[in-house]
Amino acid sequence: MGGVKPPLGAAFLRLFMVQCSWNYERLVGIGMGVAEEPLLRHLRGAPDNGASYRAAVARGARFFNAHPYLCGLAVGATARAEHDGMPPAQIERLRAALIGPLGSLGDRLVWAGWLPFLAGAALAGIALGAGWIAVATFLGIYNLGHVALRWWALRAGWRAGSDVTGALRDPVLQGSLGLVGPAMAFAVGTALPLVVRWLAGPLPGANVLVLLAVAAAGAGALRLKPGLFTGPRLGLAAVLAAVVVGALWR
Amino acid sequence: MSLTTLAALLVWGTLVGVDLVTVPQMMIARPLVAGTVAGLLLGDVETGLRVGVVLELFQFDVLPVGAARYPEYGPATIAAVALAHGMGGMPALGIGAGVGLALAVVGGISLHWLRTVNTRVVRKASVALEAGHPGALARVHAGGVLRDVARAGAITILGLAVATLGTRLGAGSLPAPVLVATNVAVCGVALATGGTGLLRLVERTKLRWLAAGLAAGLGLIWVA
Repeated sequence: MGGVKPPLGAAFLRLFMVQCSWNYERLVGIGMGVAEEPLLRHLRGAPDNGASYRAAVARGARFFNAHPYLCGLAVGATARAEHDGMPPAQIERLRAALIGPLGSLGDRLVWAGWLPFLAGAALAGIALGAGWIAVATFLGIYNLGHVALRWWALRAGWRAGSDVTGALRDPVLQGSLGLVGPAMAFAVGTALPLVVRWLAGPLPGANVLVLLAVAAAGAGALRLKPGLFTGPRLGLAAVLAAVVVGALWR
Repeated sequence: MSLTTLAALLVWGTLVGVDLVTVPQMMIARPLVAGTVAGLLLGDVETGLRVGVVLELFQFDVLPVGAARYPEYGPATIAAVALAHGMGGMPALGIGAGVGLALAVVGGISLHWLRTVNTRVVRKASVALEAGHPGALARVHAGGVLRDVARAGAITILGLAVATLGTRLGAGSLPAPVLVATNVAVCGVALATGGTGLLRLVERTKLRWLAAGLAAGLGLIWVA
């Protein structure tokens, strides 16, 4: 990229919208193309009258799927590869090779780690009386990590280019993966009994036992017949049954 | 509920609906956040928190990977808080959350519809997209945002209409046993769903951390 400063800021802002045109054909492909486009603009000055720029834009918008927070890694890496003059077929292979690892890493790090860890901590905070402050703290801390991850991903992708797999071995990233799993398990473990007590608190007398029985029966149904029972289905059925029981009880 | 409050809830519901997938995924779509802010707007934070926590437990069962289909709890939570508040607050938690669950399913169906329409639009623009026209790319993308804003707004309007109608039709005068029974039912299933969903997230090797957390939670109950 000899001395040219890439417009990472523009690409970064567009990455927040990477899923705007999510569809069953290209998944996040269109959003990836939109985010990558500012990083490809230098190609417009090539002597081929913009053909390499348009070809790169078209490639950038093809099928892609990954965790939305980590799409920047692929955007940065492929844009860098385009600038470095990597053959198109190799860029396509690079994109395809990133789909699995970025999806799996993001799911473990965010959906099954950072998010439930902080949500569990927020639930525990609410149950202990912190109220809306627990919710505001959840939102603030979560987004510090969220924005930092998106920015790191884009910068790391751009720096690494075709050697992007090296970025995935980043010690901070790997260390975070090692920490977030146990932290999440501990936080949700702490939250569960506190939430049970908090929800049961306003219920009169023996209803607490009924609540625990419903929870146990519901958990059994969800574990044994996950295809038949889902949370909303079970919840709706239980509310309808409760309306009937409550009306008869009168 | 005043018109100003309704308008504020509509704006909040639309933002929450768009946050889930489209932009910026900052988790205001989580029931915990959506419900608490709805409670603040209604001047009833406690109901917002309670409904938010219950529907958050249902949300724990959702893992939004790939093309997975799932209920949309954000705008549904706002309607659930509005209904429970209109019916007298915390005693109506079960009815509010129950209606919220139905609306979450409708929201999930609307997300599938949006993705199907987006797919048609992308197919129609495929020649321009394959030619690498940045204008075509921007148009397809902007269209996706506008469609999701319209979708999220429509779901929120539906939810607020249900909440207003429920309140006006006298749902607030439901007998106490019905309110208690629905509270017990919805909280019980929420705990079951949340617990099952979270257990799925915890890897086998991390079970000792879960056990340590459970012990810490029980210890806090004992101390408090």
